[in-house]
Amino acid sequence: MPALREVQSSLMHALMRRSDGSAAQALLRPGTVPSTQRRLQIYRNNLFETRIAAIGAVYPVVARLVGTDFIRCAAKAYSQLVHMRCGDLHEFGDRLPEFLRDYVPAAGLPYLADVARLEWAYHRAYHGAQLPALDPIRIRQVPVGAQGSLRLQLQPSADLIRSPYPILRIWQANQPGALDAESRISLDEGGVNLLVVQQDLEIEFRLLDEGESRWLWAVALGDSLEQATREALDSDPTFDLAAALSRHLAGGLFVGLSMTEADQSA
Amino acid sequence: MIAGIGLRAEHFAEFTRTRPPVRFIEAHSENYFGRGAKPLHYLLRARRDYPLSLHGVGLSIGSADPLSPAHLKRLGELIGTLEPHWVSDHLCWSSVDGEYANDLLPLPCTEATLDHVVGRVMQVQERLRRPILLENVSSYFEFAHSSIPEWEFVSEVARRSGCGILLDVNNVYVSAFNHGFDASKYLRAIAPAAVKEIHLAGFTRQMFEDGAEMLIDTHSAPVADAVWTLYREAMQLFGPVPTLIEWDADLPPLPVLVAQAHKADAIVQAIYARAA
Repeated sequence: MPALREVQSSLMHALMRRSDGSAAQALLRPGTVPSTQRRLQIYRNNLFETRIAAIGAVYPVVARLVGTDFIRCAAKAYSQLVHMRCGDLHEFGDRLPEFLRDYVPAAGLPYLADVARLEWAYHRAYHGAQLPALDPIRIRQVPVGAQGSLRLQLQPSADLIRSPYPILRIWQANQPGALDAESRISLDEGGVNLLVVQQDLEIEFRLLDEGESRWLWAVALGDSLEQATREALDSDPTFDLAAALSRHLAGGLFVGLSMTEADQSA
Repeated sequence: MIAGIGLRAEHFAEFTRTRPPVRFIEAHSENYFGRGAKPLHYLLRARRDYPLSLHGVGLSIGSADPLSPAHLKRLGELIGTLEPHWVSDHLCWSSVDGEYANDLLPLPCTEATLDHVVGRVMQVQERLRRPILLENVSSYFEFAHSSIPEWEFVSEVARRSGCGILLDVNNVYVSAFNHGFDASKYLRAIAPAAVKEIHLAGFTRQMFEDGAEMLIDTHSAPVADAVWTLYREAMQLFGPVPTLIEWDADLPPLPVLVAQAHKADAIVQAIYARAA
């Protein structure tokens, strides 16, 4: 009698189309109508339909931009490439943006991967926990001379996106019932810097100007306020730290703070 | 009232506004694993007025792999937040060698599988500090080396592990059709005391060129007449067990779902009003 692991491994290979299925078919009760081959095929179809539906649910704008046949082919190719490592289907599709960037049939749509990036950020923010916001008083309690060495932690479900394409306009124009659905969007309109974050019960896209975007990216990567501010000023001399800090504290973006080790020991 | 409905994101706002008269609600555990503010807000709000059943699809209780500590941790945290009346998943496997198929795959019904599954159910119940319910799945093939009928396998898992049975009457009907066994015989073999919840759903019929036919459990249609008949039989055998209408794909307007629940109520009422 075959061991459970052998049975399951053999079936998994057959279902994921990494084998011709003959080893898996040999495990099934023979002599039935429909044949074992067809019975296995039902599971193969179900499995791919589930994944295609999951991609369609997370990426409705990408699907609308490329059409049903295209997204089905892309989702199928992606499913065969990316192995699913957990039982939560919401995590399926996280690498679709990078997949689309290299997907030859999508080469004519250079903005597609960034639109996908925006949709994944929305999906992540929707399903991610919203932690209690950092109380601004905790920053004011830090002596002014030490504030530069503060590091701020962002909401784990928040995301920052930079794109050379007008992806927010594309996203908005492709929402159900969008008012400007028929208007043409020129890729020459230029790019956007965005923060995707939960606010109350909704997901918000906040437009960031250049300095603010640089600053938040640096903060998110773990730079101190001083380092992050220097980086922001390098690209945008008008960057206003106090304004940026108060905007995002009020928006509940920060959830914690820490000091560099040197300052903690001082 | 005996019947409840699945609470889906598409119905969050309307459900909260209209508070339809249903016995309980069921939510898919994994939809709340990330603890997103909006889904959790609506579920907690509904939870105040309705008993809650938390139903999972990703436990992979029958896998040859070790149980996923991350999955159990998130499930445990969710149970702590929501305090559901029932916690369930499926008697199946969906992963092996660390890879997930995200489908509910049937198990070979053997003594060895039985031992394996019973041990794991006990681990899960110990970890969650509560009994769970396991649901029989629809299947489209059987294993050549299966040596125990499915109905005995399901009963034995419950008897030996102490878990309850979430009996999906539609799945019994679908599998009986696909494998050529008697659905009534299946029901009669289940110990009534083990059945804690019933599921009803709609299936799809798939035809092949040579005339062969299979039923597919798609949760995309109203409950079929033949399944209502089988449900009546189940209610006579098991008593008025809480019953859930499952509808996940091509989701209908909320009132259609509620009407299906009321149809189940009417069946139970007809049986037990007559008996009383």
